[in-house]
Amino acid sequence: MSKLQIPIEHTQLANGLRVVVAPDHAAPVATVGVYYNIGFRLEPQGRSGFAHLFEHMMFQGSENAGKMMHIKLVNSSGGVLNGSTRYDVTNYFQSVPSNAVERMLWLEADRMRALKVDDENLRNQRDVVKEEVRVNVLNQPYGGFPWLDLPPVANRNWANAHNFYGDFSDLDAATLDDVQAFFRTYYVPNNAVLLLLGDVKPADGFALAQKHFGGIQPNAKLPQADTSEPPQTEERRANVEEKFGTLPALAIGYHAPKRRTPEWHALAILDQALHGGRAGRVYRQLVLEKQVAVDTEGGIHYPLGDVFDYNGPMLMTTRILHKPEFTPEQTIAEFDAVIAEVQEKGIAGDELEPVKVKFRSDYYSSLEGGLGGYIPRFGLMHYAACFTLFDGDPTLVNTILDGFMAVTPEAVQAAAQKYLVPQNRAIVVRTPAKAAVAKGAA
Amino acid sequence: MATATPEVHAVAAPALAPEQPVVWPRRTVRTLANGMQVVLVESHTIPKFSGQLLFRSGNAVAESPGLADMTATVARTGTASRSSRQIEEELRRLGADLGTGAGADSSSISFGGLVEFATPLLDLVADLARNASFPATELERERRQQIEALRIERATPGFLAGERLRKVLFGAHPYAVISPSEEQVAAYTREALERYYRAHYAPENALLVAAGDFPGGEMLARIEQTFANWRAPCQPAPSFPAPPSHSGRRVHLVHLPGSVQTQVLLGNHAITRKHPDWLPLTLANSIFGGAFNSRLVMNIREQKGYTYSPRSSASPLRLHGYFSVGAAVRNDVVAATLAELFYELDRMRALPVGDDELTDARNYMSGVFSLGLATQSGLAGQLVNLYLNGLPEDYLETYREKIRGLTSAEVQAAARKYFDSANAQIVVVGDRAQVEQQAALFGPVTAYDAQGNQI
Repeated sequence: MSKLQIPIEHTQLANGLRVVVAPDHAAPVATVGVYYNIGFRLEPQGRSGFAHLFEHMMFQGSENAGKMMHIKLVNSSGGVLNGSTRYDVTNYFQSVPSNAVERMLWLEADRMRALKVDDENLRNQRDVVKEEVRVNVLNQPYGGFPWLDLPPVANRNWANAHNFYGDFSDLDAATLDDVQAFFRTYYVPNNAVLLLLGDVKPADGFALAQKHFGGIQPNAKLPQADTSEPPQTEERRANVEEKFGTLPALAIGYHAPKRRTPEWHALAILDQALHGGRAGRVYRQLVLEKQVAVDTEGGIHYPLGDVFDYNGPMLMTTRILHKPEFTPEQTIAEFDAVIAEVQEKGIAGDELEPVKVKFRSDYYSSLEGGLGGYIPRFGLMHYAACFTLFDGDPTLVNTILDGFMAVTPEAVQAAAQKYLVPQNRAIVVRTPAKAAVAKGAA
Repeated sequence: MATATPEVHAVAAPALAPEQPVVWPRRTVRTLANGMQVVLVESHTIPKFSGQLLFRSGNAVAESPGLADMTATVARTGTASRSSRQIEEELRRLGADLGTGAGADSSSISFGGLVEFATPLLDLVADLARNASFPATELERERRQQIEALRIERATPGFLAGERLRKVLFGAHPYAVISPSEEQVAAYTREALERYYRAHYAPENALLVAAGDFPGGEMLARIEQTFANWRAPCQPAPSFPAPPSHSGRRVHLVHLPGSVQTQVLLGNHAITRKHPDWLPLTLANSIFGGAFNSRLVMNIREQKGYTYSPRSSASPLRLHGYFSVGAAVRNDVVAATLAELFYELDRMRALPVGDDELTDARNYMSGVFSLGLATQSGLAGQLVNLYLNGLPEDYLETYREKIRGLTSAEVQAAARKYFDSANAQIVVVGDRAQVEQQAALFGPVTAYDAQGNQI
């Protein structure tokens, strides 16, 4: 296997802004991203959903680029854009023909320097966000399951346990003062990284970064928040109602070990062995062999992210849609049998080696496309940003696989025995409000 | 923290630097002696490759709705020499992903994996295409999974809206059906799947597209070696009834009790990709509602806050195309939304698009097209579009120039032909008590339940 050697150069401006350039001149396009080290974990209490609402506000206008100007300038330069809010980061990104790179830096700098929004903008985006929550959660079968249902059951620290999309009463309570305070606190150069990927020369990228971002003031008093979870001592459970879907569903989440430890590597490889597609043990046993379930998915940071892009307590989650003729307890028992087998017998080398090959292959694909397939090198940007903000080193992109490839069968078995135990997990049962129409199915 | 060097911040957006030329990578296009078309392009971004083996027939020609899709699904679960479990474990060993499925006009085996294992992955793809064994137990398992998936689809507003619009627009034409009924799935037989497979998984009907970190010549040799001795007859395409034409607006309401939002979707007949108006239509669509910076998004999202993600699209099938506009909106603004949609459609029809807006939209279409150059999957997608649809060989190379040459008059002419607001068919999916009166302001209402029965 060849080592990755993706060219990455990085620097830091005097105001604390980290700048990462990954040049590749194969096509005349570039992706420009800004990541802020603030996600929904750290939004203020009484303001659930605020980090995401705030993300919307960042598209509502800045001092020299009024409402819609950012979007208009990206689209009319031949580019596409988006942003997203996750546990520990909020990101803003655009892919453009490379002749528009400086324009993108000007836009991102303008909104990092001076967000300029009013009450009308806030009312408008509050309405938009409510429709977003309805279309993704409240009016969809299995909406928000399990990413909104499991954390409040599994976690005790409010940072990890609240409604990340936001209670509507909290969204209604948000004010323009909240917006500006959040902006001044977290949206500062020393809490961010700027990334330029594709058809950009590093020297040019650094010079443009200094030109447009160099004068933005840092926040000398960045808050340090405690996101730690108290130790769990017994299994946690909850039941919720499924309003539209016809099948019972289950989510099982185990607290994962701390990032960048040998146990974390081992659990990630075990995760691939359990949840890696149709060859994964969970899908194979529950769907293909025992046929108690019709679908299973899962992973560390599922379904919002993966093993690389968070920085704090995290769950390895399994989501199961099972047949109504089996009870949740019967389904959990089949799942537990899969886990028990790993704990008792481990995973032999002839299964572990292919699992590692797939892990490595998936990682390469993530670098190129990943979550935002329409943004070239989205994954490379995403990982380089997270490794900069969490670990201080974007070049980890080239080396982080090593720890996973070195995982031994013994380490996998030990991780299963230590982490995949009832007192380290939470289970949410989602039961359909109406029974399935009893026709057609055997 | 050191103090930053003060910089004078520019108050105006920097001008665009000169545009870089876009050079599409050279592709290898070959038709093998058995009729299979092969298209390859090198892309060295990551040590992988990805592609699709496509057959130019899908659910539209199947003897029962959705049968082509079930054929593709079960085809991955066993061959003469491999069990389902062996297939899945082999894929993992090769670091590969594989998906099978069928739409209205094509069936596909899509694949991606490490280039170091390109040969065994191609061998496996060929085995699925040529020697699928359709194990009865696998069919029964997939059948049950699909029936359960269909029941969940019938609780999903976006699915119900799309399904109803296609039924209304296409009537007796097979394009009317996007998903089979439970009864139809229950009636699939192993023999019918095999029949479909024998008739359509044939080299003359096949297109193989791959992009990746390989030398094109070497990959072509591998593919020839793998597929050259494949001989299978191919069944000619049948003819279909014409879709109905529509006169006057009608409302088709799908009642979803307890819905806390309403999915609005309106549409009308349009054109296929091969029609000379295709590019003007896509540019008109981009200005109307195909981009974030479009009139539709500005109006009902950024000004009025009715919805999160409104979009319009021109959807091309092989034989027909249609235009549609969709938004999931608050229950109390269904009438207000429809009024704005028709206002914006009629504005596109009645008034020419100004120079600035036209230039912005041309830049958008042209720029986004070149983003597809930068990834293996983007390149493969562009090539599939070109060769599956039989577009001109120079389509990629001349696209940007053609978009830049379009005029305001051509855009308006396309809007007048294909934004048929007077005869639009309006689908609303929501709680009938909350939305029927609002929708009825726009046309006579026919109501259905989620199973498709008129109520």
